[in-house]
Amino acid sequence: MISQSVDKTGGSAHPWPLLFPRSSLIALLFIFVILFFLLDLVLGSVKIPPLSVLSIVLGNGSGNEAWDKIVTYIRIPKAVTAVIAGAALAVSGLQMQTLFRNPLAGPSVLGISAGASLGVAMVMLASGAAANSFAVRQLGLGGSWLIVVASTLGAAFILLVVLAIAVRIKDNIVLLIVGIMVGNITISIISIWQYFSEPEEIQDYLIWTFGSLGGVLGSQLTVLAIVVALGLVISFAASKSLNVMLLGENYARSLGMSTLYVRVTVIAATSLLAGSVTGFCGPIGFIGIAVPHLTRSMLNTSDHRFLMPSSCLVGAILMLGCDIIAQMPGSQTTLPINAVTALIGSPVVIWVIMKNRNLKSSFA
Amino acid sequence: MGYHEEQKSQVVVCVKKEILQIDDLVIGYHSRGLAKEAKKHGRKNRSKVVAEKLFLNLAEGELVCLLGPNGSGKSTLMRTIAGVQKPICGHVMLDGKRLEKLSAKEVARHLSIVLTDRVMTGNLSVYALVTLGRYPYTGWMGNLSPDDEAIVRDAIETTGTRRFAHRHISDLSDGERQKVMIARALAQDTPVILLDEPTAHLDLPNRIEVVRLLKQLAREQSKSIVMSTHELDLALQAADRIWLMSPAGGEDDNKGIEMISGMPEELILDGRLEKAFKRNGFEFDRTSGSFRIHNQRNGSIGLVGEGMLAYWTKRALERVGYRVIRDASLPFRIEVSDEKGSGLWRCFDEECRGATEIRDICGVINYVKTKEKKPEIL
Repeated sequence: MISQSVDKTGGSAHPWPLLFPRSSLIALLFIFVILFFLLDLVLGSVKIPPLSVLSIVLGNGSGNEAWDKIVTYIRIPKAVTAVIAGAALAVSGLQMQTLFRNPLAGPSVLGISAGASLGVAMVMLASGAAANSFAVRQLGLGGSWLIVVASTLGAAFILLVVLAIAVRIKDNIVLLIVGIMVGNITISIISIWQYFSEPEEIQDYLIWTFGSLGGVLGSQLTVLAIVVALGLVISFAASKSLNVMLLGENYARSLGMSTLYVRVTVIAATSLLAGSVTGFCGPIGFIGIAVPHLTRSMLNTSDHRFLMPSSCLVGAILMLGCDIIAQMPGSQTTLPINAVTALIGSPVVIWVIMKNRNLKSSFA
Repeated sequence: MGYHEEQKSQVVVCVKKEILQIDDLVIGYHSRGLAKEAKKHGRKNRSKVVAEKLFLNLAEGELVCLLGPNGSGKSTLMRTIAGVQKPICGHVMLDGKRLEKLSAKEVARHLSIVLTDRVMTGNLSVYALVTLGRYPYTGWMGNLSPDDEAIVRDAIETTGTRRFAHRHISDLSDGERQKVMIARALAQDTPVILLDEPTAHLDLPNRIEVVRLLKQLAREQSKSIVMSTHELDLALQAADRIWLMSPAGGEDDNKGIEMISGMPEELILDGRLEKAFKRNGFEFDRTSGSFRIHNQRNGSIGLVGEGMLAYWTKRALERVGYRVIRDASLPFRIEVSDEKGSGLWRCFDEECRGATEIRDICGVINYVKTKEKKPEIL
């Protein structure tokens, strides 16, 4: 406070405000990501001393073969998945909030997760009809691609439907309701499908809906990383246009921006990001809504050139944190990740609303 | 060939450069929904014409006020000029080039807009918001060069928004916000700026400040500015030129919109403004340059006198419903004179032979009101 008042009186009447948030904040976020990553590796149902974990991570091994295997084949892929999923969901939520000019937009609200679920349900449940679910599981890499493609296409399909309606309806609240309804329709289609499916197939699907960061191993992780990286590159490239979208579509068009191009870009990126993560980890809620709000209020900016990378970091931190809680350190059980994110994410959203009071003017 | 040469020589003679030209433009909507209606009327065209035969031009450094009642097509014309809406027929020439031949980015470098849309940019400072005006010039990440930054800062200084450059737009008053949006348009660095009702929702000091700012931009930076407004007073005082869209046939919509264009004083003196308003049932007073909003239900009254006292007496009498005639021969009349710095009103009516002397204007109006009930005054 004191330094601010000195600033105001010193030198020229009013100093030019900074366009860039302090880089120390971003550095701090980065340190937190590493800290949470290591914490996630250390904590788990099997107790492994932190120093041994560190030495395994650095490639030296710990001398205990079981520990080596646990860390290398279970904990590291899971933590990496958490980082990827957190970053991907946060960035997709950020873009949707700007595109729809709505603070409550996010992959889980506007039916994108439901669309991805539909895609996955089609693969998992229909495979029983075509051959059997065993065959799909045996597909290995092909199967993981199949799930990613199905969930991404499902997500893209629903997002296209919502966007087609968005062209006609200018009111954001109405659009939000429409999005939720489209999501509901999708979910009801899935339940009808379930009703006529074999019990084992339903079980596979139900376990998938609980969400899990643990199931993504080896080649699947590579697939996820490639797809998410692609989605992130597209998103980062859209930063400049998304900034202009903050002014509203009319101003954006008057600045020579093609709104169609931005819409298509954002749909493509969001479908890739949310679709692939949902395909592998199940529908993970609230990260997509909560992280952009958290990031915006922390950095006090709406500039997407900074929000994009920072959202990635905050998303990764939050996702790692949720995973640590899901382990229930010191116990043998793990909670479904989806329940934990909702448990953590909902209070964050409430806190943001309470803090800003007027969410409408401060969301994007 | 001869015709073209003649045109060319005309352009050379012109002192001021014409930045925007509109020749025989027809504006309106292309709509699928109107196809049925068009069929019914046996028309091939499936569009709704809002206004046609528009011939307008805008010179460098000129401030134009676009006037017209609600629904007369002001916004349609603005959108057509901005290239957001396609004209049904004819062309908008921007800087000598056809508007529809220019790419979106080229248009953005020629023409910027200030809308009535409420912007919700959240955690973006005013400074950051104004930098968005540089979008058509910056690279793919939108990073500002030192030149860009200088233009942005200049735009903020010019509009007097530096005081709150660090604040968020949601924390600003309506007047401050309007100036920020003008700064953003300035940062876009375009020869033409279109503003859609920039003075709506503003109080009088802010309204004057915004118009003064626009005049200054036109004069000092040679910007060509078109602003739509409902405020005739302001337009008549500030505009270099008026574009008035008025329904040609009074209440009957179907006769279309007539566009009247010219210098404000020219339109007043040759009676075109008066005529345009009269068609729509409004009395425009050529001498005072304002509307008569009062019904003259109480008949005529004579007024004798000069100066400020007489002017405001006239205003007061008109307000209570009299037609004021500068005629000393009317039996029912008031003579105003200035006596030792205070006014003296001598009121005559048909019955009393002598004059009633009144020393304040409230008394005059009360006196006139008591006469009002008597039928012979009418």
